[in-house]
Amino acid sequence: MAGTLALWLLVLAAITATGWRARRYVALLARARGAGRFDHPLQRLSGVAVAVGLHRRMLRRPLSGILHATIFISFFVLFLTTIESFGSGLFPGLAIAPVGDHPVIALAQDVFSLLMLTGLGLAVYQRYVLKPARFKGSSASDAAFIYVLIFLIVGALLLEAAARIVQGANGDWRPVASLLARLLLAVHAPGPAMEQVFYWIHVCAILAFLVYIPGSKHRHMFLAAPNIYFRNLGPRGAAPPVPESRENTGLDRLDDFDWKQQLDLLTCTECGRCQSVCPAYAAGLPLSPKLLITDMRDAITAGRTREPLVGNVIAEATLWACTTCRACMEECPVEIEHLPKIIEMRRHLIDNGSVSPGLQDALSNLTRLGNSMGKPSKMRARWTKELGVPVKDARNEPVDILWFVGDYASYDPRVQAVTRKVAELLTAAGVDFGILFDAERNSGNDVRRAGEEGLFQSLAQPNIDAIQACTFNRIMTTDPHSLNALKNEYPSLGAAFDIVHHTTLLAELVAAGKLQIAPADGGRVTYHDPCYLGRYNGVFDAPRDLIRAAGYALHDMPRCRDKSFCCGAGGGRIWQSDEGVTERPSENRIREALSLGDIERFIVACPKDKVMYTAAVDALGLAGKMQVLDIAELITVRAGPEAAA
Amino acid sequence: MNILVILRMMPDAASELQPNEGGIAIDREWLDFQLNDFDDHALEEAVLIKEATGAHVTAIAIGEGANRVLQMAAARGADEAIALDAEEGGLISPRDIAATIAAVARDKAADIVLCGVQSGEDVFGQLVPYVGALLDWPHISGTGRVTSARDKLTVSQERGAGVALTYEVALPAVIGVQTASKAPRYVSGSKLREAAKTPIARATLQPSAFERAAMLVKLSPPARGSTGEMLGDDAGQAADRLMAVFAANGFLKG
Repeated sequence: MAGTLALWLLVLAAITATGWRARRYVALLARARGAGRFDHPLQRLSGVAVAVGLHRRMLRRPLSGILHATIFISFFVLFLTTIESFGSGLFPGLAIAPVGDHPVIALAQDVFSLLMLTGLGLAVYQRYVLKPARFKGSSASDAAFIYVLIFLIVGALLLEAAARIVQGANGDWRPVASLLARLLLAVHAPGPAMEQVFYWIHVCAILAFLVYIPGSKHRHMFLAAPNIYFRNLGPRGAAPPVPESRENTGLDRLDDFDWKQQLDLLTCTECGRCQSVCPAYAAGLPLSPKLLITDMRDAITAGRTREPLVGNVIAEATLWACTTCRACMEECPVEIEHLPKIIEMRRHLIDNGSVSPGLQDALSNLTRLGNSMGKPSKMRARWTKELGVPVKDARNEPVDILWFVGDYASYDPRVQAVTRKVAELLTAAGVDFGILFDAERNSGNDVRRAGEEGLFQSLAQPNIDAIQACTFNRIMTTDPHSLNALKNEYPSLGAAFDIVHHTTLLAELVAAGKLQIAPADGGRVTYHDPCYLGRYNGVFDAPRDLIRAAGYALHDMPRCRDKSFCCGAGGGRIWQSDEGVTERPSENRIREALSLGDIERFIVACPKDKVMYTAAVDALGLAGKMQVLDIAELITVRAGPEAAA
Repeated sequence: MNILVILRMMPDAASELQPNEGGIAIDREWLDFQLNDFDDHALEEAVLIKEATGAHVTAIAIGEGANRVLQMAAARGADEAIALDAEEGGLISPRDIAATIAAVARDKAADIVLCGVQSGEDVFGQLVPYVGALLDWPHISGTGRVTSARDKLTVSQERGAGVALTYEVALPAVIGVQTASKAPRYVSGSKLREAAKTPIARATLQPSAFERAAMLVKLSPPARGSTGEMLGDDAGQAADRLMAVFAANGFLKG
């Protein structure tokens, strides 16, 4: 009777304490701005099933994925035991005990206790022996405390069963507990007393865990599934919209972020997967996506939600370091959205006119001339001069393909050769195409990601007007950044365009037999997936098909497809200086290609990549050994009567 | 306090500058125009003084793209904008515009006239002394820092050999700014879009206050000397040629 009363008091105290510790977060989220994430419940649920049930992203790292799955499954099985422990303690008349004695359940509890301890052992092994770099900056004591609690809970559970076996209970279906029972017998432990002791250790450890959770990264036990459920279902390539009601374009206070952005912070498990894939972090820049989230989270938990964020909680240099490559978000197992936070805070910096000198030059050039280089817009189509044939002016006559060329492809001498090659391929395939000449502006993709919302609109609107004044069937571009802007950003301004990347169009032309390739003799090449082509827009296969069709043996780097490693140019980084960079992401990537052995051609599908990797190859002194080529440059058109026909 | 700041539009030096058919002006058809860099600093200095003292800033812009630059000036903090209709296609000569600037300065009861120390079309920095002379106000050029007290300015001016001079100048005065106290600020696209609504007044060019002393007879690219070699526009070819020059002159080992 005294035991029941004590347990009741303990349970009520623990629940009250937990509620008390969690109250601030509940109030915070209830107060926050709406996020519009309640649509498509079935799609949302199925995403949760895949993410939680199948551990899909968790398993991108096999060891942690498996150990987490082991702990996760064991937790649910052992939860039955927890119900049994508390049920029988709180309601003595209500005997659930017989359930526990069912052979299957007894065996399950026994086996999964062992599995839980195995998972725990693996976790300890990973954290303290393997010490992956991604844990750098995560709270060590938080993890250690949880390990001890889990060990106490499961250990006490097994020992409690062992103590019952000592007293004559059936141990046939509890092999592990039976083994422990022998141990207890060997040390002449008094059975009934031991059972009580272990029961209370078990119960108290569980309640301690419960009370501990609201202040720990283990909040994710409750928040991961909701955070995944409320994930962004919109296009990956759309920057967060600026609501009309907002006074300033950017955000600088935690309580100005919508509830999903705040829920993200509370959900972070500090696993550091984002940090391990971040090109800015790898380059030695002061940005770790994990610390960005945990620093903002710590400001929330400390109640500093009304303080200025930028320059206080998050340094300016941290915000400008991001290449917006989206690797962090692709990797996060609980669907935390790092980029919207960075973009919102960059908007705040732009509002205040705080930009680095390089970025200021580029943005001023874009404001004045519509391109980041500061070149006259009349020179945008200069590359066509050296082309044998005139290029149609899509403003004056209808075309099948409207080619949105983009800044680097138009102006940069290193890329102009690629641009001309694409024009030659299209001509050879009989494609009717035209360009916008000086009516084209920078697409604004990276301008928007640099937080320059107003300039983005000033660039996008003339592009939309110019495009809508033309007659065409589809838009093509060689520039994944332009592709992303036209496909995913311009709809926010009311324009929907059908746009393809040149690799997609060329692959179509090859498949249709319109572009006839004379295959080369099969050198080894590797291919770099551009962030805005692959991760953002899901184009992984067309470039690979083309490379094979051109007659080359493709060897992917370890970080390929959606795990591709950014060249370091995106999100406005290409306009900023390399100050503070210890290893350029582009050089890191070239070294990765080198590690494949005898790769002579590094294949790209993005004008910025051509620029970045050509520079990286030169900087590493590999100019004679490795060529950086766009896929179009690999293709040789078959000459001869059948091609001419 | 009232400040008048002068903004001159200059052909973008990155464009291809060619004399036109008449040979006394550059061909403007393919040119982009941008704000004279020194005038950009003058504008920044004006806005900084406004922020420190609450002064009223009037910006007057001359040349192609004046409206766009005036919107930018308004977004940065100018209170009033005037576009000066200059002769189309001509150079912005300090002799020709000084009288108009002086008249606007009187009209706006300016205490300070700020403009860039020089421009591509005023390389000898004559606008400041001309305007100063017409108004009979003190003037000083090549300033690096201007701070304002009630009826005077403290102005620093860089000289050679690492020497900087500091002057106190009585107001009203005409100042030729070389660098503003802070680098010109970035103005966001959203602010620019807001400033697009700023009303822009117009002013017409008055007759020059000076008698014609000389006449422009020819405009041409600098004559090519025989002591230098032009490496051309193509980076690759220029690099090859440079390497050849290094090799020929024994700068390369092996």
